[in-house]
Amino acid sequence: MSSPKVIVRDSAIHRALIGGGVVIGIALALWGSGLAPFEQGQITRVMIYSIAIAGLNVATGYAGLLSVGHSAFFGIGAYTTGILVVKHGWGAWATIPAAFGICLVVGLLVGLPALRIRGLYLAMVTLAFAVAFPEIVGRFENLTGGAGGMTIHRTSLRPPEWTGFSLGEKGAWLFWLSVIVLALTIYVTASLTRSRYGLAMSAVRENEIAASSSGVNIAIVKTATFGLSGAITGAAGALFAMYMGSLYAEGSFTLLAGITLLIGLVIGGERTILGPIIGGLVVVYVPYYTSDIGGGQASAVLFAAVLLLVIFVAPAGVAGAINKFVARFMVVRSAPPVSTPALTESPVSDQAPTQNERQMS
Amino acid sequence: MEILLSRVFAGATSGSIYVLIALCLVIVFRSSSTINFAQGEFALFTTYVTWWMTERGIHVWLAIVPAILVGFLMGAAAERWLIRPVKKRDETAVLIVALALFTGLNGLDGWIWGSDDKVFPRMLPSGEGSYITIAGARLHYDSIAIIAIMFAVVGGLTLFFNRTSMGLQMRAVAANPESAALCGVRVGRVLTLSWGLSAALSAFAGALLIPLVPPGQLGLAGMFHVLIFATAAALLGGLDSVKGAVVGGLGLGIGLALVNGYVGFLGGSMSLTVALVVIVVILLVRPTGLFGARRLERV
Repeated sequence: MSSPKVIVRDSAIHRALIGGGVVIGIALALWGSGLAPFEQGQITRVMIYSIAIAGLNVATGYAGLLSVGHSAFFGIGAYTTGILVVKHGWGAWATIPAAFGICLVVGLLVGLPALRIRGLYLAMVTLAFAVAFPEIVGRFENLTGGAGGMTIHRTSLRPPEWTGFSLGEKGAWLFWLSVIVLALTIYVTASLTRSRYGLAMSAVRENEIAASSSGVNIAIVKTATFGLSGAITGAAGALFAMYMGSLYAEGSFTLLAGITLLIGLVIGGERTILGPIIGGLVVVYVPYYTSDIGGGQASAVLFAAVLLLVIFVAPAGVAGAINKFVARFMVVRSAPPVSTPALTESPVSDQAPTQNERQMS
Repeated sequence: MEILLSRVFAGATSGSIYVLIALCLVIVFRSSSTINFAQGEFALFTTYVTWWMTERGIHVWLAIVPAILVGFLMGAAAERWLIRPVKKRDETAVLIVALALFTGLNGLDGWIWGSDDKVFPRMLPSGEGSYITIAGARLHYDSIAIIAIMFAVVGGLTLFFNRTSMGLQMRAVAANPESAALCGVRVGRVLTLSWGLSAALSAFAGALLIPLVPPGQLGLAGMFHVLIFATAAALLGGLDSVKGAVVGGLGLGIGLALVNGYVGFLGGSMSLTVALVVIVVILLVRPTGLFGARRLERV
């Protein structure tokens, strides 16, 4: 096999590739904005779930904190929007930062046990969190509408005046809002995971004791990661509330929803940028195309089958498999340090790929 | 006094249910050091099998026999072909396989039998006048029966683990798989059998408990809550202890009944949240639970 072409990070080619990715993203967004309302709504849903799964990716993918309970963050974000819009008359889009903030705080609190609890036991805590969430919503009935659900009146979701969208164009407004939040999420997670902090997360995932002895403050990394992860998923929940217009904790935010987010992440590919988007596509379109089979229950069976297939055949998920394929032709790595004369003798491209190199995703 | 006693009786009844499922978790944990998150869904699937047979006119106590067999085969197959291959990789992969089984089985139930709630026949005597009175509080026959069954199962398991060759082999594998293998124990077969045993027991427990836990009918969400309570119970007693599961389950059941009865501001409907708090507190304060003999690896 011929050695793959090496692209140096931050070189002109690397920037051109990233620029190309951005252009493709914008083109896709423009294509989506021209779709018929129903198809556009589906794409909006895909983006909302992509954001939610990207949030989960931060904790479960990068830091290795397995969470089954992100449905609860999704729900808290959605109810934050619902309550602020219905009870306090906020503009719907302005509630997204509020949902982000509240889920950040809750995420930090849920992350606290993660200081001492890992792996199996943390999964157990998040599982219990997911199961208990609908009960907690039911407890605060006067705020959340309890089991009867909560309806956000359509006119409260009117796009703000400055956007130029009319009430009838709510779908298009929500589409663009989701595009912006998704783009922000991708940018933030991509930069974060390449930063020092991201390396610290990886270190915590691989070996806590080694990370700790290398000067990583495990307590801060774990809680902050869980907080940020919950916050991003919460922002997706806020968009979900605006999209649905009605909230039922027993329907949308159950344990099965939390497991579905995790399934989307694993199928899409943990620790990749594209993974959450593929996950969002899977989570939205698989139930849609199988809704006629078995009274809508076939999608869960299919999810399980695909998940098992991914675990056994391609543990890195679909995006991971794509990255692996691309890496046969092209790898991205940081520029070699300038002041190491030993390296100048052997061309970089002849070296075997190292652990440090980052693949394009 | 009457109210207190009847709350204790109600708590002991639901506690016995938690004990049964907690025992299933304990059996798996003792052999594989993992929690089978799909345990509740194993139980739900086999309970649907039982229900399907009763719809064909077979008496429920007869219908449960093939369901237990199905459970055994399901558990054994899951261990052999799904759990064991990924176990070498890491703990997360095992958990994700269990979650795949969770959604897959739940969806399969709905696919085969529909998502509407089913009326499940009661296996234990109940109805008007079927109770005895102790100090003014009613103790129903079905409560007595389930508590008795629970103790019988615990007795049987204790005998199994202490007196039979297979039980001793399971304990050997749990304590040290390598040494057990060197002594001639076929570790793989023991693991498969213990998953099968656990799923068979959960098939029996599932059919018993469905009429006794709200909503009293067989539905797709029927086991979510039971799984959480059983997990909390197993943790409370210590994940590897049969005695712990009994104390944990009964303690949790009675404790929840009293908390919901007497702590007004919780509104009588926060059982799951209480269970969540119990799980978190135990993991933070005493990860081995009350009777967990083995020092768990640092959680």
